[in-house]
Amino acid sequence: MKPIIVVGLGNPLMADEGIGVVLVEELSKLAAAGKLPTAGVEYYDGGCGGMYLLHTIADRKKAVLIDCCLMGTEPGTIRRFTPDDVASVKQMAHLSLHEVDILKVIELAKEIGSCPDEIVIFGIEPVAITQQLHLNEPLQSKIPDYIAAIETELLLTDNR
Amino acid sequence: MTKDININVHHITRVEGHGNIVVNIKDGTIEKCEWQVPEAPRFFEAMVRGRRYDDIQTIVSRICGICSISHSLVATKAVEDALGLEVTEQTDLVRHLMHYSEQLQSHTLHVGYLAAPDLFGEKSVVPLVPKATEIVLKIVKAHRVANQMSAVLAGRITHPITLTPGGMTKVPTEQELRDLKATLEDCVPDLVDICKAVLSVAGNLPAFDRDTEYVSLKQTNPLYKRTLTEYSFYHGDITSTDCNGDGDMPVNKWESVANEYVVPQSTAKWCKWHRDSYFAGAIARYKNQREFLSPLAKEVEKMFGMTVDNVNPYMNNVCQLIEAAHVVEASLEIIDKLLTKGTKFEKVNVTPKAGRGYAAIEAPRGILFHAYEFDKNGECTWGNCCIPTNQNHANIQKDFEKLVPQFMGEGEDALRQKMEMLVRAYDPCISCSTHMLNVEFVK
Repeated sequence: MKPIIVVGLGNPLMADEGIGVVLVEELSKLAAAGKLPTAGVEYYDGGCGGMYLLHTIADRKKAVLIDCCLMGTEPGTIRRFTPDDVASVKQMAHLSLHEVDILKVIELAKEIGSCPDEIVIFGIEPVAITQQLHLNEPLQSKIPDYIAAIETELLLTDNR
Repeated sequence: MTKDININVHHITRVEGHGNIVVNIKDGTIEKCEWQVPEAPRFFEAMVRGRRYDDIQTIVSRICGICSISHSLVATKAVEDALGLEVTEQTDLVRHLMHYSEQLQSHTLHVGYLAAPDLFGEKSVVPLVPKATEIVLKIVKAHRVANQMSAVLAGRITHPITLTPGGMTKVPTEQELRDLKATLEDCVPDLVDICKAVLSVAGNLPAFDRDTEYVSLKQTNPLYKRTLTEYSFYHGDITSTDCNGDGDMPVNKWESVANEYVVPQSTAKWCKWHRDSYFAGAIARYKNQREFLSPLAKEVEKMFGMTVDNVNPYMNNVCQLIEAAHVVEASLEIIDKLLTKGTKFEKVNVTPKAGRGYAAIEAPRGILFHAYEFDKNGECTWGNCCIPTNQNHANIQKDFEKLVPQFMGEGEDALRQKMEMLVRAYDPCISCSTHMLNVEFVK
């Protein structure tokens, strides 16, 4: 198991909801081309795995999570934060496992003592979440900026 | 007796969609009792139009993160039906293993993380950890085993990448199979302990009975006669408890089983077959195929005193535990078969042709139907999917209509709890296509 994992979350069938998956695909291509570190770093398409992702992040030194996020900012905004910086205002009916977001997964990982030592989340504000196979603007044209932000994070990370 | 009750378990965003529970009782008279599904229509069928036959399973795997293996498998089967493709025995066995991994993933997760907290009197699995640490850790371990299995067979823990029409893009090595076998064997005592823990609080399952129709697959593939895979999640005809062995439907007639229709209280379609509603899921499979359960699954069945005559919908959770035990033993049987024969990569050659194909599979939460049509170039011109949760909506409504009068005397909180538990017992797949964050900054 590599100590660092970069997980792209979301659903590419749902327009901007899929930004995390789109970005982790780009990051994987860059890593394969030798432009991003691969030693000690795993790039992972987590899709809509919800609670399935517990073991994907568990016991890592650091997890970098990329997800669509309603933050009340301008659409296309990227913001770096940690789980402690935010409170979820997502309303859950607790009727189905399918409604779980990554903050719930982190909560359980903490409770069972398997949480990564460090978690960084890159949240990206969507324009729209609807049935659509492509991203909306400005998210599409901001992909290089998002990649640069995550690349900086990885360059500052000790991947040993 | 409580005269006025107003229950409104509601979710406000249509983007994600949720089931709403709405009950209004005035002066002891039930004015409204509804299971509403105000989910935004998903139109995934439209997304596959114009796509190649070998893109379909990848696209539909994203319909749901929890049932993605089932969606990919059933789509692959429907494409193969349309194109007239046969698969090898090795492909069939590997796909079965992959499918069992999802049953184990989903059932342990559902019973452990969603149903067990109800029984132990907690809102979710997180506060359950300090209360029942040892058992939660065993649930987490069983879940990890299922994830490992999916990673080997599907290439990922969700959204599989090893399926292709006509075969597999990767098959497990013999070493991977031997490792999986050891992991699964190691998981058996934990599964038994999980069952014992759930049994210790099973008295908290509401005493509620309502007879209905139970619909599932029934094995017809001769390859699996007298094996544990005779209890089918993957092949066979569509049967129900109302068929009594007569009137089973081939999967290419699934639209005549689902009989989808619309109701004013829901944007999701509802379904009915011989009665005004039916139940799809673990309890339906159990009732229609109980005789083919593995020895360990029969031990779990006995432990809970479960019988095919039981018509308590809350027992669907117990049937999920029975099936979790079954799929572990059925997986071990298939692994032994693959190890005896040895595994090798098999090249697939497909020539596109025009045609329409149908398929049915048992997703963890019930029978799942897909159908596609292709032109002579292998481009999709039409698609139709019917998920198990939609097939269960009418049955949930009918359960509510019997449950509310039976339990309204216990007051609003107790009634709400029983209604929420009932919906959870069906393990519904709602809000599954998006899991985005919604936060406010506190620092």
